[in-house]
Amino acid sequence: MRKLIKKIFQFIRVIKIGDLLTIFIFISLTFYLASILWNFPQGEYLKIQMGKKELGSFSLNQNITKIIEGPIGKSEVIISSGKVRISKSPCTKKYCIHQGWIKKLNQTIVCIPNQISISIIGNRKDYDSLNY
Amino acid sequence: MTRSIIKIISQDHKVAKLAAIAIALSLIEFFLPSPIPGVKPGIANIIILFTIIKFNFSTALWVSLIRVFIVSIILGTFLGPTFFLSLSGSVFSLLFLFLFRGINGQYFSVISLSLIAAFAHIIGQFLIVRFWIIPHDGIFYLLPIFLISALIFGLVNGIITTSLLNIKK
Repeated sequence: MRKLIKKIFQFIRVIKIGDLLTIFIFISLTFYLASILWNFPQGEYLKIQMGKKELGSFSLNQNITKIIEGPIGKSEVIISSGKVRISKSPCTKKYCIHQGWIKKLNQTIVCIPNQISISIIGNRKDYDSLNY
Repeated sequence: MTRSIIKIISQDHKVAKLAAIAIALSLIEFFLPSPIPGVKPGIANIIILFTIIKFNFSTALWVSLIRVFIVSIILGTFLGPTFFLSLSGSVFSLLFLFLFRGINGQYFSVISLSLIAAFAHIIGQFLIVRFWIIPHDGIFYLLPIFLISALIFGLVNGIITTSLLNIKK
């Protein structure tokens, strides 16, 4: 064990002062880029659609539960301070419930059997490259 | 029998030996499983760094380019996307090594060079990916993952190269 520690120290000793500077520069560069690139915009509004009909937009900054009457039954949508999910649905596969909370811009929950779709929109709409 | 008009000098033997080691290391690396697709340790860079310090830049250039071509021919990816990724990474890392090869001295060691080469390799590959293979900004979400791997493996490769250079013959 002591030999191993000695060996590790031998390895670390070869690092010179300038190398520490280089390592520091690269670590900060990596973190800086990560903070820029992994910054997903938050949405502000929520749009609920049933089929082609738009049921309306709601603010995400509230805590309410909505019951939506679809073709096969009632779905329950919960908005909770910045995020939204479907909590009850009459569909068989329950994909919409398993998707869980969504909170980022342009994220969508779709329940095809009950024809309900919920998408988060901001003040500015980003292009959706798939639909555009 | 015709006489060979190509004169083989000792420099050629040196390049051939180093390139052979680099190719062997690349092939070993190819068969190693990787937890994240695309993240590789790049152990062949140890040889390139060793060559640049022990000999000179032009030898390292030869070794690196021979390695890229021969490995792609062996693995069957010659002129495919993988080959161009590898080539662009190598060319970028050689370019940055050429620019920074002078810093190796009292304050900086080969570890800095290794880190610079690793980062340049990632940048070279991402430029090719962005402008040719996947022309979409979405791939930049992956950049930090590759930069972290470049940091770790660049450091490890640099330390290995240092101990390799310290071996007295």
